[in-house]
Amino acid sequence: MNKASKPNPFTSISDIATINACIQCGTCSGSCPLSDQMDHAPRELFALIREGEYDMALKSNTPWFCVSCYACMVRCPKEIPVTDLMYAFKEIITRKRTAPKNQKMPDMYRAFSRIIKAKGRITESYVMALYGVKHPLDALKNIPLAVKMILRKRLEPKALSVSDPESFARLFELTEKSEDKA
Amino acid sequence: MRICFYPGCSYASTAGYKESTEAVCQKLGIELVVIPDWNCCGATVMFGENKLRATALAARHFALTQAMGFEEIVTGCNACYATLGKAARLLNEDAELFIKTKDVLQALGLTLDRIPKIRHLFEILTKAMPDAPSERYRSLSVGAYYGCQLTRPHQFLDKGGYPEILETFLERIGFAVTDHSARTQCCGASHAVIYKDECRNLSARIIREISDKGAQIITTICPLCQFNLDQAQTGDLTPRIPVTYFTQLAGLALGLSATSLGMNKLLVSAEKVISRP
Ligand code: SF4
Ligand code: SF4
Repeated sequence: MNKASKPNPFTSISDIATINACIQCGTCSGSCPLSDQMDHAPRELFALIREGEYDMALKSNTPWFCVSCYACMVRCPKEIPVTDLMYAFKEIITRKRTAPKNQKMPDMYRAFSRIIKAKGRITESYVMALYGVKHPLDALKNIPLAVKMILRKRLEPKALSVSDPESFARLFELTEKSEDKA
Repeated sequence: MRICFYPGCSYASTAGYKESTEAVCQKLGIELVVIPDWNCCGATVMFGENKLRATALAARHFALTQAMGFEEIVTGCNACYATLGKAARLLNEDAELFIKTKDVLQALGLTLDRIPKIRHLFEILTKAMPDAPSERYRSLSVGAYYGCQLTRPHQFLDKGGYPEILETFLERIGFAVTDHSARTQCCGASHAVIYKDECRNLSARIIREISDKGAQIITTICPLCQFNLDQAQTGDLTPRIPVTYFTQLAGLALGLSATSLGMNKLLVSAEKVISRP
């Protein structure tokens, strides 16, 4: 099948057209602290999308290694909002469930989001406990550090919370609905 | 002076950011009015999940601030600062998003008519600190570390590539500064928690660079930067160099004790370095 005729899954992103101006200079990838972990660092990911390699782009681990440092975005000579695009890719990939199976960050984000929905505030140890259900090894690796934190009275003994978590959680329901309508 | 303060989720469990912020503000006559019932800003997670939700999480504070009668929100966390700032920019630029967000908040019983200005605690203290309140630390060389989000979009405190505001501040309040090239290198941020091995080198490079250039102590402006640089100093990978908050150095300059500034909570102790600078 002709690649160019496949539907582009990224058209709903408001800034997506900006990547047409990309001159493939690689400044973004060269500035990226975690490009060595990415299968297609930002420059390459944009090239893939322009070439119509949508499946590869949807399965790329790149957005999941983006730590939102904005180094690429302040340096890009064509003022392409690289970091904002990485966020938008994550949103689409999550909805389409195409994230690579071995990718840990979607699980971490899910744990983080579930704690916000339940409590309104984040308590790191609770996020780690929830994430650790699926990734016990990562949770274990953090135990020596947790001990040091306890000794310095820095681990929250109970979860932080907004005053009325139940009505706060409505924010999640309300935004869910309007997303589905869109 | 009274400021509307957004603490953020990591504020209370940091190595003394809360203690030092409160002590310094009290000394300078700044009253921190904490947004009642604040929630998590969504950090670097929520914009990757759902844009409207991310904006609404941040904008809930804009409505709460409006109800308190303030025009500005002050936060001490770089990630909160960038996230709240991003939401504020989007709401100012995108009328449709503003209406949708307003509707969500309305359903929660909140009113949003205007977008407050988002400021970093650093800006407030820069203005409020007197010139060199003490000469005691004139020879203590500090490596200033900005981290990634402070001077990058969506707020412009200083040049993104080579900021100098922190060095200017430190020299003015009575410290020596060490020039180095890791000031805005990323520490791995939240990825460092679960990608420990992959990210260790990011923090280690920053620590070695600052220490090799001759600094005796590092100072940061963000809970996560401080945490990552402090906890990465294990094994043979890096030298040991204390990592503090700028509020702790400001407090020392003002003559406050290290304990009252929560410095006993640091992982790598600063005791030796500050007792004979
Ligand atoms: S820095 Fe900008 S122009 Fe250069 S490759 Fe990256 S996105 Fe393209
Ligand atoms: S914002 Fe993301 S993609 Fe850009 S340099 Fe930082 S980590 Fe890499």
